[in-house]
Amino acid sequence: MRDSTSAVLGALPSRPVLQREDVARNVLRWFAYVFVALALLFAVIAQVHGDVFFFRLATEALIYGGFAMGVDLLLGYTGLLSLGHALFFGLGAYTSAVVLKGLAPSFWLALAVTLCVSTVVGAIAGIIAIRARGVYFALITFGMAEVLAKAVFNTQELGGSDGIIGVPVIKANFLFFTVDTGNAAHFFFLVLAVIMVFYFALEALLRTPFGRLVVAIKANEDRVPFLGFNAQRHKLGIFVIAANVTALSGALYPMLRGFVSPELLYFHSSGNAVITVILGGVGTLIGPLFGSVILTGLKSIIGSYTEHHLIVIGLLFMCSVMFFPKGIVGSLKGLVESWLARRKEQS
Amino acid sequence: MSGFIDTLQFVFAPQIINGLSIGVAVVLMALGLTIIFGLLDVINMAHGEFYALGAYVGVTLMAIGVNFWVVLLLVPLIMAPLGYMTERLFIQRVFHQKDRHILTLLLTFGLAIVLEDVYKLIYGPQALSVKTPIGGGSEVLGVFFPNYRLFLMAIGAVIIVGVWLLVYRTSLGAMVRAAAFDKDMASSLGVPVSHVYAGTFAFGVALAGLAGVLLAPVYSVFPTMGKDFILLAFSVVIVGGLGSIKGALIAGLVLTQIQAISSLYISPSWTDPLVFAIMVAVLMIRPQGLFGRLGHA
Repeated sequence: MRDSTSAVLGALPSRPVLQREDVARNVLRWFAYVFVALALLFAVIAQVHGDVFFFRLATEALIYGGFAMGVDLLLGYTGLLSLGHALFFGLGAYTSAVVLKGLAPSFWLALAVTLCVSTVVGAIAGIIAIRARGVYFALITFGMAEVLAKAVFNTQELGGSDGIIGVPVIKANFLFFTVDTGNAAHFFFLVLAVIMVFYFALEALLRTPFGRLVVAIKANEDRVPFLGFNAQRHKLGIFVIAANVTALSGALYPMLRGFVSPELLYFHSSGNAVITVILGGVGTLIGPLFGSVILTGLKSIIGSYTEHHLIVIGLLFMCSVMFFPKGIVGSLKGLVESWLARRKEQS
Repeated sequence: MSGFIDTLQFVFAPQIINGLSIGVAVVLMALGLTIIFGLLDVINMAHGEFYALGAYVGVTLMAIGVNFWVVLLLVPLIMAPLGYMTERLFIQRVFHQKDRHILTLLLTFGLAIVLEDVYKLIYGPQALSVKTPIGGGSEVLGVFFPNYRLFLMAIGAVIIVGVWLLVYRTSLGAMVRAAAFDKDMASSLGVPVSHVYAGTFAFGVALAGLAGVLLAPVYSVFPTMGKDFILLAFSVVIVGGLGSIKGALIAGLVLTQIQAISSLYISPSWTDPLVFAIMVAVLMIRPQGLFGRLGHA
C-alpha cells in the first residue's frame, strides 16, 4: 500500500525526496511543540497575575484556531477553498448549546452528538460541494452557509436572531478528575488539550495512505483516478473530517461564552477563518493556530482604540496574500529547513 | 373564468413586474461579475462593495447639490479609474501565479472587508435614504406601479443592450473577446492585453457602481448593501455560466421571476434557499452553467 500511494505522487520518490518530506514534517511538529510551550508559558504568567480576561481571550483564540484548522485541511492539503466553513462551526456551536441546555449538561454527550450531526451534515454538504472544483466549490460552500444562516435566523425554535442564551456552566468528567468550564484557567487547559489532540490526530492522518492520497488530489486531481484510486470518495472523506474538526471546535464555543448566535454562521465568520489560515500559513495545520492567536490578539488590541479594526485586518490580509502567501509559519518553515540543510552539508 | 383573469392581473402581474425590476438590477450586478470572470478568471468578491461604493459616491455628489441625472453619468466615470487602479495595484500582483483563482478571490475578499469598514467609518452604519428622482406612479395592466421602477426597467434594458453591443459588435469588444479566448495569440496580434485586462475590470466595476446609484432610491444606502445582493448575483452568474453575458441575462431574469412568483406560495425568507437549490441542481447537471463563457461561445 505504501508503494502504491507513493506512486500517486507522479513518480516514485527517491530517497532524498522522502527525507526532505520528513524534515518538513518534523519542522512543523517542532512548531507545534513551540506552540504548546508558549501556551503553557502564557498560562503560568496569567495564573500568577490571577487573570481571567486573557485566559478567556486565549481560549477563544484556540477555538477559532481549531475552526481554521478545518479550513486549512481543505485548502492547504486538498486544494479546496471553503468560503462557508462557518456552517460547520455554527452547526457545532448550536448542537452543543441545544444538548447542554435541553438534554443534559454533559461535555462528552455534547461532543458525541456534535460529531454525529457534523458527520451527517458534512456528508450531505460534501456530496453537493465536492462535485465542483476551484471557484465553483468556493461559491457553493459560500452559498450553503448563507442559506443555513438564513434558515437559523428565521427559526424561532433556535432563538431566531437572538440565538440561544443561558447555556449552563458544566463540569467535564475525566474519570480521575473533573474540569469546570466556569474556571477560566482550567477550561483553557481543556481546550488546549482538545485542539492539540486534533492537531496530532490530523498530522497522523495525513501520514496514512488516505492522507497521502488527499495530498495527491491537490497535486493533480485528474491523475488520481488513472492510478486506480477514487478521488471523489477521498475528497468526500476529507471534507467530512474537516467538518468534524470545525464542528467540534464550535461545540466548545457555548461552553466558553454561554450563548450562541446566528452571527457564528455568517460569512464574516467563514472569512475570518480563511484570513487566519492565510496569515498563519496555509498547508501547515499548526499555522492556523498561530494565526488565530495573532489575529485574536490584534483584534483585541486594535479594538481597544477603534471599532474599525477590520480596516487594519483587511489590509494586513491583502498584504499577506500579495507578499507573503506562505503565511507566518510557512515562511519560517522555509527558513528553518534551509538552515537545517546548510548545517547538514557542513557536518 | 373572470376569477382566473383577476388572479392573473392582481396577484401575478404585480409580482412579475416587481420581479422584473429586481431582475434588471441583479442582471446589472451579474454582468459586471461575469465579464470580469470571463476575461480575467477573477471572482470579484468585492463586487458588492463596488456596488455600494457607487451608491455612496452618488449620495455624496447629491449631497453637494449635483442633479441625480448628472450623478448617473458621473458615477461610472469616477468608478472606472478606481477599478483600473484596483486591477493594476492589487490583482496584477498575484495574477501570474499558479493558483491565481484562489489568490485573486482572497485578495478581492480582503478588499471587500476593508471597503465595508471604510464606508462605516465615513458614513456610519445607518442607512441613508435617497429621494426618488421620478415621483408618482402609473397604471400598468390596471395595477399601480411607482414610475421610478418602470424607469429602472427601461434604463436597465438599455444598459444591457448597450453592453451586449459593446462586447459583440465593436472592435473594442472584439479585442476583449480575443484576449479572453487566447491571450498569447491576441497579444502577438497587437492587442495590449494587460490594458485590456485592467480596462475590463474597470468596466465591470463601473457597471456595479452604476447599479448602485440606480438602486439607491429603491433600497437606500448602507455599508452592507452589496452583501445582501451578492449571493443572488453569484447564483445568477453560476446558473448562467461564469463568463457568459447571455447566461447572466437569462438566468438573472428567470431566477428573479422564480423568486417573485414562489413568494406567493412560500415564505419570502425561503425564496433565497430555493434559488440556491436551483443553482446546485444546475451545477450537478451542467457544471459549466447553462451557457458557455465569454470568447468561447
